[in-house]
Formats: sequence, structure tokens, C-alpha cells
Amino acid sequence: MTSRAVPTLRHIVVAATSIAAALVACTTRSAPPVLRVDIRQSWARIADSGATSGAYMEIDNNDTVPITLIGVVTADAGAAEVHETMQQDGMAHMMPRTALRIPAGDVVKLAPGGLHVMLIDVRRALAVGDSVRLRLKFSDSTSVAVTVPVKTP
Amino acid sequence: MTWRRFARSCALLVGAVSLAACGLGGDFKGMAVDPPREMPTFAFTRADGSTFTTSAEPGRPMVLFFGYTHCPDVCPTTLADWKRVRATLGDKAKAVRFVFVTVDPDRDTPAVAERYARMYDASFEGVSGNAGTTSRMMDAFGVAAAREPGTNATGYLVSHSSQVFLVDSHGKLVALYPFGSGWDALAADLERLL
Repeated sequence: MTSRAVPTLRHIVVAATSIAAALVACTTRSAPPVLRVDIRQSWARIADSGATSGAYMEIDNNDTVPITLIGVVTADAGAAEVHETMQQDGMAHMMPRTALRIPAGDVVKLAPGGLHVMLIDVRRALAVGDSVRLRLKFSDSTSVAVTVPVKTP
Repeated sequence: MTWRRFARSCALLVGAVSLAACGLGGDFKGMAVDPPREMPTFAFTRADGSTFTTSAEPGRPMVLFFGYTHCPDVCPTTLADWKRVRATLGDKAKAVRFVFVTVDPDRDTPAVAERYARMYDASFEGVSGNAGTTSRMMDAFGVAAAREPGTNATGYLVSHSSQVFLVDSHGKLVALYPFGSGWDALAADLERLL
């Protein structure tokens, strides 16, 4: 004759508590919303008032279709343009990028020595701790606003 | 800047890079110039009227870069790298002369060039020469620059040589550092020279 484990009151209470905790976790821990276009790791360079600065960031396209960045607007500079630095035979060239395509589910990185937002004639001196507000405009008429901190270069 | 001058500068640049390539490796982490090349001295007038010269100073190597202050990417990246080099060298960095030379003297006055460099570090020298000085210095270092059309907002853009030059305390060009090659190579070579 084999013995058979009989659940005690203690076992029942532990199981019920676990189930309840799991249920609470399911209902309260919802994943953060995924932005269609997510701007991450943004930063801008220090600059004198009236001088030129540069901004960098990662543009994450979480959509199922490609998006195309066609411009940047800001009240913090006279103008903002997307440019790309290219190195050829020891020379640095800068090319305007008026249409920057970001494939579906992909990320494009704007980083020193490559793609960047050129901020022309900044309205005030930019020091570490300041920030600039940029609005990225896409070809489908959508736009994304981002506050870009000025960081130690 | 004429195309003829641009072509000549390109030829000089190729010559400089070829020369440097011959000495790749050796004692320098950068591209060694072998044999080291004696550089002429250039003088600049600062905004306050004082004179800055590139003449050799005992125990004081010199690091140079040629750029322009409207440059949003390569020039500030280089100056930011120099800041890291200074931090790495600690007290020894005081002996190093870091010099930013504008290739766009029409827009960059001595005051603008000076403020631009000092924004990154108070010890950095930013200089702007007259057309003749700028041209002769660029030729001596094999530096090329050319204006390229920009937009109404940017005005003209300037394509320019992007390497950093290391001149030892005897006034000899000893190594080059192509853009993107890493600031730690320059720091290591300066450490060795100091």
C-alpha cells in the first residue's frame, strides 16, 4: 500500500497566494508602448551663440514600412539640416542628405564622423546641461519631437 | 580657392600620405613620417594683437589640425578627442601645444578661431592667418581644402584634409593620425615624446 500526499492547509495557502501574485503581475506589468519611431541616445555639441552645432541620435523605425526623414525643424537654431560626413583620400566632405531612408524594423545611427544634424546659427550658446528641441519630419507627413541634451563632447 | 590650387594641394596630400605610409609602424602608433620632416615656422596674430608662432620649443611637441568653425562634425570630433588626450596625459599635457588652424580665414577671424578652440579646452590655440600664411602652411603640411556649395542656411561648405599632425619639440613633423584612427594613438605617441 502506497502512501498518498494529502495537501495540507499550508500547501493550499501557498498555491493560492502564488496564483494570485501571478495574476496581479499579468494585469499590472504591461510592456511599455512601442513607439512607431523611437529616437534614442540623442545628444548635441556645445557651441557659441550664432555658431554651428551638431546633433546625433539613433532613429529606430518600429513600423512595418520604411520611413524617410526629409528634414529637421527647430526654433533653437537658424536652420537644421541632415548631413553626412564622408572621408575620401584623407579629405572630409560633407554631403546634405535631404531624404534619409530608414527600412522597416531597422535603426539608423547618426554618429560622429558620419550622419548628423547640422544646427546652423544656434540662437544661444549651448553648454553642457542645456538642450535643444528638434522636430524630425518624415515623408509621410508625420513628425517626431525630441529634446536633445547638450553633452560633453 | 581655385581648382588649380585644390589639385596642387591634393598632390601634396598624396605625397604626404605616401611619405607617412613608408613609415607605418615603427616607434609611433600613428603613421610615422620617416625621416621626420623639418617644418617651417608660421606666425599668427591673435585677436588681442599678440603673436603665436609655430616655432619649435624645447620639451613642447605640437599637435595640429586644419579645419573650419562652421564644421559641425569632423572638427569638433577632433577637438573633443584632443580633450581626451589631455585628460589621459594628466599634468604632462601642459607641455603640449594643441593648435587648430582654420582653412577658412574669410569667415573665421582670429577671434572666432580662438573662441572655437578654447570652447573645448582653455589651453587649445585657435588661429586664423591671412590668405598667404594659410596657403603656405597648408602647402607645407600637404593639407588640401576646397569650397563646396552649401545651402542658403549653411553658406559654402569646406572639404578639407582631416588628419592630425604631430610635430616634435625640434620642429619636425613625425607622425600623422587619419580621422577616425583613435585618439589613444596620439596620446601614446605624445606620452613617448614628453
